[in-house]
Amino acid sequence: MDEADLRLDGNHVAGLLAEVFQFDMTVEWSGCAACGARNQLGALQVYAHGMGAVLCCPGCGQTLLRIARGGGRWWLDLRGMAWLQLDEGARLPD
Amino acid sequence: MGRLSWRLARVAEVRPETSRVASLALDVPGWDGHLAGQHVDLRLTAEDGYQAERSYSIASAPDGQRVELTVERLDDGEVSPYLAGELREGDQFELRGPIGGYFVWEPGLGGPLLLIAGGSGVVPLMAMLRHRAASGSQAPTRLLYSSRTLEDVIFRDELERLAAAGDGLTVTHTLTRAQPPGWRGYARRVDAVMLEEVGWRPDERPLAYVCGPTRLVEAVAGALVALGHDPARVRTERFGPTGVE
Repeated sequence: MDEADLRLDGNHVAGLLAEVFQFDMTVEWSGCAACGARNQLGALQVYAHGMGAVLCCPGCGQTLLRIARGGGRWWLDLRGMAWLQLDEGARLPD
Repeated sequence: MGRLSWRLARVAEVRPETSRVASLALDVPGWDGHLAGQHVDLRLTAEDGYQAERSYSIASAPDGQRVELTVERLDDGEVSPYLAGELREGDQFELRGPIGGYFVWEPGLGGPLLLIAGGSGVVPLMAMLRHRAASGSQAPTRLLYSSRTLEDVIFRDELERLAAAGDGLTVTHTLTRAQPPGWRGYARRVDAVMLEEVGWRPDERPLAYVCGPTRLVEAVAGALVALGHDPARVRTERFGPTGVE
């Protein structure tokens, strides 16, 4: 098994992301700050571990979003993402 | 967070599917339906407070209060040996969902549909096929399903029944590790030639859903795009090395 076997996709972290964002993030669109590719978060490559996940551009491998959870806090690093679009239609019900 | 708060699910029925796979029918109070292809997160808490979370695809069609998961037991897994081995009717655990609107199919999306599964990756595709049948959809659909052996084929009888209904569904199996005597089907991993033989032509613009171990998903998605299919119509769900654990 190598790193490629451990690769998942954005579907896998929908629950974790929904702890932070009140949206179904798998259908939301993002732009890669490195190559400009537009992708729904469900289509991103994901490396997940116990505390969080790293979401990468399927086109160029750029790290778009890092999220970690622990001790009642969430840390987000969105440096690699040029933009993130949230669609009102994908808002999760209260 | 109504839909994503943790709630207690109660096991209503445990049904073995294969020697390694079991379906769990769950009663989830307050469940207000799901879309075919969505998943749930499960949380198990040990007596010492240690918690483990995993995602599992929903196998059942969206119909009311009950939710069915189909779980493959991974021998070195932390959660699945419990879910697909020890769990009994009446047991309870925490669950949240349904989650994820990316890897879903609804009859309104139409077809033709190309569903490609490796192993327990068939589970969310089964939700789509069950929903398709229950809703009377005639969307032309082809399922290509890769398993190690015939005994490992999940939902074998039900797939046969669904394909026999004559409503536009064909089911093709490939058995990668061992084949029974007289087997006439495919006996290798899914490849571009197989996708051309079984799948739709790119100009028929199928919607493709590919689910299974990461290597299969990436090989299939890559082959579909190389064959000329629109990447925007190829949706993938990777299960990791052999499963989500």
